[in-house]
Amino acid sequence: MPRIQSLPRFRLANNQHGASTSTSKPHVFLTRRLYIVLLLFTLLLAPALPVDADEPPENAYLAELINKGAQAKLASEREWHLLLHYRKDLFGGHTSEQDDQGFFMSPDGKTNPQAELDTTLKQFFSDELVGRSKQPAQCAFIARYEWLRNQLHFDETRLAPMACERFERWFADFEAQSITLIFPSAFLNNPASMFGHTLLRVDQRGQTDSTRILAYTINYAADVPPDAGMAYPIRGIFGGYRGYFSTIPYYLKVQEYRDIENRDIWEYRLNFTEDQVRRLLMHAWELGNASFDYFFFKENCSYHLLALLDYADPTLHLTDEFLFWTVPADTVRLIASKPGLVSGIAYRPSRSNVIRRKRESLPSEEREIAHRLTKDIGELKSAALSRLAPMRQTFLLDLASDYLRYRIDTTDDPPPELKKRNRDILAARSEIRLPSEEFLVEPFAKQPELGHNTSRVSVGAGWRNNSAFEEQTIRAGYHDLLDPEIGYTPNAQIEIASVTMRTYNRHNQTRLERATLANVVSLSPMDSVFHAPSWKINVGMQTIKHRGCQLCSNGVMNGGIGASVENRWLVHQVFFAFAEVEANYSHAYEERHRIGGGGTVGMLTDLTERWKMLISGTYLRYALGEKGDDFRWTVGQRVTLLQNLALRLDYNHRDYDNDVMFSVQAYF
Amino acid sequence: MSKKVIMLSVAVLFGMQAGFAMAAANPDTGPGCGLGKLAWGDYAHQKNIAPQVLMATTNGTFGSQTFGISTGTSGCTNDGKVMSEHKTTMFAQLNFENLSQEMAQGQGEHLASLATLMGVPAEHQAAFFAMTQERYTSLVKTGEASPVAMVKAINDAIATHPVLAQVSTR
Repeated sequence: MPRIQSLPRFRLANNQHGASTSTSKPHVFLTRRLYIVLLLFTLLLAPALPVDADEPPENAYLAELINKGAQAKLASEREWHLLLHYRKDLFGGHTSEQDDQGFFMSPDGKTNPQAELDTTLKQFFSDELVGRSKQPAQCAFIARYEWLRNQLHFDETRLAPMACERFERWFADFEAQSITLIFPSAFLNNPASMFGHTLLRVDQRGQTDSTRILAYTINYAADVPPDAGMAYPIRGIFGGYRGYFSTIPYYLKVQEYRDIENRDIWEYRLNFTEDQVRRLLMHAWELGNASFDYFFFKENCSYHLLALLDYADPTLHLTDEFLFWTVPADTVRLIASKPGLVSGIAYRPSRSNVIRRKRESLPSEEREIAHRLTKDIGELKSAALSRLAPMRQTFLLDLASDYLRYRIDTTDDPPPELKKRNRDILAARSEIRLPSEEFLVEPFAKQPELGHNTSRVSVGAGWRNNSAFEEQTIRAGYHDLLDPEIGYTPNAQIEIASVTMRTYNRHNQTRLERATLANVVSLSPMDSVFHAPSWKINVGMQTIKHRGCQLCSNGVMNGGIGASVENRWLVHQVFFAFAEVEANYSHAYEERHRIGGGGTVGMLTDLTERWKMLISGTYLRYALGEKGDDFRWTVGQRVTLLQNLALRLDYNHRDYDNDVMFSVQAYF
Repeated sequence: MSKKVIMLSVAVLFGMQAGFAMAAANPDTGPGCGLGKLAWGDYAHQKNIAPQVLMATTNGTFGSQTFGISTGTSGCTNDGKVMSEHKTTMFAQLNFENLSQEMAQGQGEHLASLATLMGVPAEHQAAFFAMTQERYTSLVKTGEASPVAMVKAINDAIATHPVLAQVSTR
């Protein structure tokens, strides 16, 4: 294998030599001059490297390639920018989103596409091991090599191709046929998964519905130390962690999401050609050398997967659509909106939803038997169970086992008797020598691409204490309890960064009426099987009337924990109750603050498919700062007009204020 | 919680390229499949092994610049891929709970996937399911002690099965 220790600096002599052999016709000469200037310019950008005393013959070919590349302007091609993850920066130049120096061949590679291209070409002549994966450049950056080889028609006798066994073995092991986008839905109880997650699955040739768990995934995630604790949100938001790609088998991902976190999974099979799949994997291989600074809101799992898909099919332009943040559900919507890109959608219910649907399908006496089975193994011998047809028995035993496994996987220190009971139930189940029947689970939340977009703008008008007002609100994300629920985790709210401006006609005053940093509510209906608590947290400000102050800004921090129950008597409704603490800060208060505690009760109900109502009342008693109490209640209603359009009518009472407001809300 | 910790630690094995480049040709040349030994050996004491695996992870990730996310917990994976000789046992190990449930139920995707890994063609998997259902109690007992032994027991059962012995390709 020929080996170059260093790149010789190109000397003017080379070019002069070139110029002297050229014809002397003036216009040709001019072109030649221009060309020399261009080349010199290119070389100026290239890093200075020590001169090699005796030049190996490859150098001439390298010079030729660099030259050809410059002429073809390869460094400004979209393909090169996709490969190196260059984005236009504010100053008209380019900066790569990649933050690992090992990803670049040139020390200036992060900001200089041309230098990176030239040095990459140089490195292709060398078998020096580069990147975190420690391979020759041709192999470590195999997609770059492939592209440049095709663009510049490498002469194999002058630039010998190297055998990339590691890549070939890795690639072959995928047995790749197609790519599926996997979307585990949002999981409020883990801040990292609040907005859902996305990953890719590399589907194997000959894979069936029951063996797709054997396929590998391509997953991008932040490397967060297990004891990150409170540092996590701060560092996660501001890029304090590094993100890496990995190839975790899908069965582990299914376990994590379906079994442990109880999240529904949606699978979108993408229509990629075999060539596009290969391109995707070649680039994924390169990203194994890479680490990106992980930014929770924008450069997150979804963003970097889009970059991979963009490389597979550069006509998609997926990453271009995300400027400020990349919400996983939005990326799913975007992909689903590309005509012909998705060839099939599959649903994989979480274990808790399997249990819910199975239970729903049962008459109450059978539900009782299943419930008793989970409590007492003696029920296995009961007449009530043995009276049933064998297929019914298998159904109840399977449900009992699902439930026990749910308990085992979601409890911190599962008592050993749960495991023992599950084994006994399964042993009894195996005695009925019939395969369980497939049970089709209808999702509670429809697939995410049917849901509203995550940003919202609303325009409204109403009265506060007989004074008319108009207001405009803009909310960065994501979903509140009254937003159209299709495609979103039911009974969960995450509002981030919302600002409301209101104009009071009587006071002729426009002011910041409300602002929300974060307002999160998780209602988890409890029953005999599920015991998760509900909780809420709200940080923001609103405008109040207090004592002499007519329109006063009031900072709020509120957190509560409670419980909710769900029923479907006439319509679907969720009742909830919270115990909570609240701290207020405002000039209107004595000592400018008050801190207290209290509670909230309320109800969320679907009156029709499009009409939803939220009623809640809160009583708070403030014991610190300005003493006093506060009673407030609200009635909010929403009617969905279109996927991204809804109407609201809200009534709010607090202290001395009564607001009625009608608004139109559009999602974008 | 301990379960999550194990899952996380396992995930660490699958760094895209085991950047743990000791030898250029084959980066991950630990002494046998480390995760397997660790986890299988102490299966009854998940809590005890979790910190060990974790420690390896944390050191590898933050201790040096030559890290990969795979600290190469050694020998199970190669550039983030499970080595073929460990595929079946690792699958059985990591999916033991799902497998035992599906063996009792006589069907399921984990069981079908295990059958596929063990070379039972799709059209004969019903016989495989019936066989594992019939032997549920003994297979799970074996598996709780050692999933490797369970795989071996299933292999032996295939070898003596009138149909499966004929059709199995492995």
